[in-house]
Amino acid sequence: MPAAPVLDDIKIIIEDIGKGGGNKPPAGGDGGGDDNKRRPPGPPSARRYRTGIALGMVSILMFFMALASAYLVQRTTSSRWAPVHLPAILWVNTIILLASSATMERARKRLAQADISGFRSLWLITTVLGLTFLAGQLVAWRQLVVQGIYVATNQGSSFFYIFTAVHGVHLLGGICALLYVYRRNFESAKISVSLAAEVSSYYWHFMDGLWLFLLALLYLGK
Amino acid sequence: MTPSMVTYDSGGTPPEASATSFLGRTFCNADHKVIGLNYLWLVLFSVFLGMGLSLLMRIQLVWPSVRLPLVSGLAYTPERYAALTLLHGSLMIFMVLTAAPQAGFGNYFLPLQIGARDMAFPKLNLLSLWATAASLLGMTISFFVPAESGLTLWVASVALFCLASLWSALNFCVTAIDLRTAGMTLPRMPLTVWAWFVTAILGSLIFSILLAACVFLLSDRVVGTHFFTVPQVLAGLMPAASLQGIPVLWQRLFWFFAQAEVYVAVLPCLGITSHLLATFARKPAWALRAAVLALCGVGLFGFCIWGYHMFATGMNPYAPLVFAMLAESLGLPAVILLASWLGTLWNGKIQLTTAMLFALGFISLFVSGGLSGLFLARHDLARAAVNDEFVTGHFHLVMGVAATFAILGALFFWFPKMFGRRLSEPLGKLHFWLTFAGVYCIFMPMHWLGLAAHSRPPAAYPVAAAVEPVRDFITGAIVVTIAAQVIFLFNFVRSVWWGAKVNEKNPWRATTLEWSIASPTLFDNFGPAEPVVYRGAYEFGTTAFAEDFLPQHLTPEEVPARIAEQGR
Repeated sequence: MPAAPVLDDIKIIIEDIGKGGGNKPPAGGDGGGDDNKRRPPGPPSARRYRTGIALGMVSILMFFMALASAYLVQRTTSSRWAPVHLPAILWVNTIILLASSATMERARKRLAQADISGFRSLWLITTVLGLTFLAGQLVAWRQLVVQGIYVATNQGSSFFYIFTAVHGVHLLGGICALLYVYRRNFESAKISVSLAAEVSSYYWHFMDGLWLFLLALLYLGK
Repeated sequence: MTPSMVTYDSGGTPPEASATSFLGRTFCNADHKVIGLNYLWLVLFSVFLGMGLSLLMRIQLVWPSVRLPLVSGLAYTPERYAALTLLHGSLMIFMVLTAAPQAGFGNYFLPLQIGARDMAFPKLNLLSLWATAASLLGMTISFFVPAESGLTLWVASVALFCLASLWSALNFCVTAIDLRTAGMTLPRMPLTVWAWFVTAILGSLIFSILLAACVFLLSDRVVGTHFFTVPQVLAGLMPAASLQGIPVLWQRLFWFFAQAEVYVAVLPCLGITSHLLATFARKPAWALRAAVLALCGVGLFGFCIWGYHMFATGMNPYAPLVFAMLAESLGLPAVILLASWLGTLWNGKIQLTTAMLFALGFISLFVSGGLSGLFLARHDLARAAVNDEFVTGHFHLVMGVAATFAILGALFFWFPKMFGRRLSEPLGKLHFWLTFAGVYCIFMPMHWLGLAAHSRPPAAYPVAAAVEPVRDFITGAIVVTIAAQVIFLFNFVRSVWWGAKVNEKNPWRATTLEWSIASPTLFDNFGPAEPVVYRGAYEFGTTAFAEDFLPQHLTPEEVPARIAEQGR
């Protein structure tokens, strides 16, 4: 397992020597010889947002993997484990979240066709769907509380509340990004509207996939 | 370079024009140089506070009857001593060893060395600085409030520090990947930049883990969940049988972070040391490519060996073997780096400046501390032969003190660029020798004490009587070493305001881009034109003309011109 990344590094360096060595002053903006192959071309100011969101997603994934591994360990070893029966509304919420990803992609397609008003209305629908999902999660909490299942009731319920809460916080960040794209006047911004929409769509789909993963974990783990 | 390529990443208007008050200029300035310096001020505060705490702990150990202000003033209990240790550790690890080489010097010099105008996301950078400062404040305050709420505050502060480190690591990665100037290919990057980059990757992975652990811990303390049930068991609320496996979860999450955290602190120091050695030995860094791979290797292995802290806890019987092998294999990149350092020094025209002395001191401490690490990585030996004092000696030598030496070396090296003045060399050398001798006198006997605790001497042999003078010796060495730090503080404060002015751009005759601009640095780094890089970072020892180095920004056309100029 440790060998692969090292080999990767060697490959990067070797490729780089082949391309960037010598005294040739490379053309402006392009840092390393390996950059072009891996990332979409563009000036560095645009590339940094894509790189940033990719690396940010890796960190967030690591965070959720730590939570998930704790869940798996506790499920098998804890004596205080009791399964949580997932409220049915979670399935509705999941469909809403998936639908928001679909409308977001349609919005970006409109933007690519320079249909700004179509983009804005679809983008707003996406935001509203996201907020609906969060409201739905609160309803799910409410239903559990009515059944007398609180965060500290047993370890299963603790994990349920923690998972939904931290995912909700991350999704709230995504909603802020969507609102930023919706409200910002991009005339004066360093970032273009299509790039901002692209970067926030990566994050949004990632949150979508993360929720499916957490839901599968909670469903199969009960 | 066309004028259209000139972009001011921090928003077009110079912050100096927008923020005129001192507070605005200092604390709300997203310029990477100001942020880097602010980190260093935080570090300076934390390191002296942390050192004071270690002195208090020692006094408490040696003369338990003495009533000390901080320990006894509030409540004289064992918990106060534990809190003292906790504060010392968290200040030194988080605020000094993690923040100084990476966030401090990295923020200041990473953009300069790769020819960028700022970090990729300046506002995020400023946010990280504020979060770090708030976290330092929280950790310090947590010591002075009652233990229960204090601990909660401490955990929250650590979580905040994790967030700050994650944002900062993201910034470093993106800057190193996307903001390199024309010609700054990966093989031409200075080793410092490589080290900051690998550290940032490692940091962006492991601080997430600690953040997750903090989330669990906070929810245990605030909402009353039972992820780690130890407090409830101790309070008799739960049967001890349910304890099985639960603290192990905490240990796993914690050590997954903490073992790699060692490399987050040490990696930038390795890069700084390589950089200083090449500059002051006036030779290209020997086996540069292997050294780069070794830096990556340290990051990779460092990420994989967390399990060896849990030999005593018990795990799958095959796991200790795997982790022991991984931990031992960390020796490979370490030896490659060592070979690279020695190869650089070999036949070099060594200039023993204070910065160079500290770099050499780092190598010495890194090697002697690292060797005792081999014993700890053997799971059979570690369990049978050593106790806490061996670990304390090993850990402080290889991590704490070695890293501090690299940080001091970096400070002496870059001080002219940051402040436009020099630190006093005679005072610096005095400080170096006192500290160097002092730390060996403190931590080497600790190894011996750790071994002695497990030895089985003949029944009549009085171990305690032999150990007592050693402890007194350590105490004396601690007092002398800490007193020597006053020399440094005096030198630093005096030089910031009244030190000898540096009028040249490149006082050390170094090759990297930060030395191509004025000292102290200009607000907009490189002026209107983007720098262009034409060669590797360590082209020392050229014999073509009187100057023995080729800076990275020197064009191929300029080289013959220079030779002609020198020949005249």
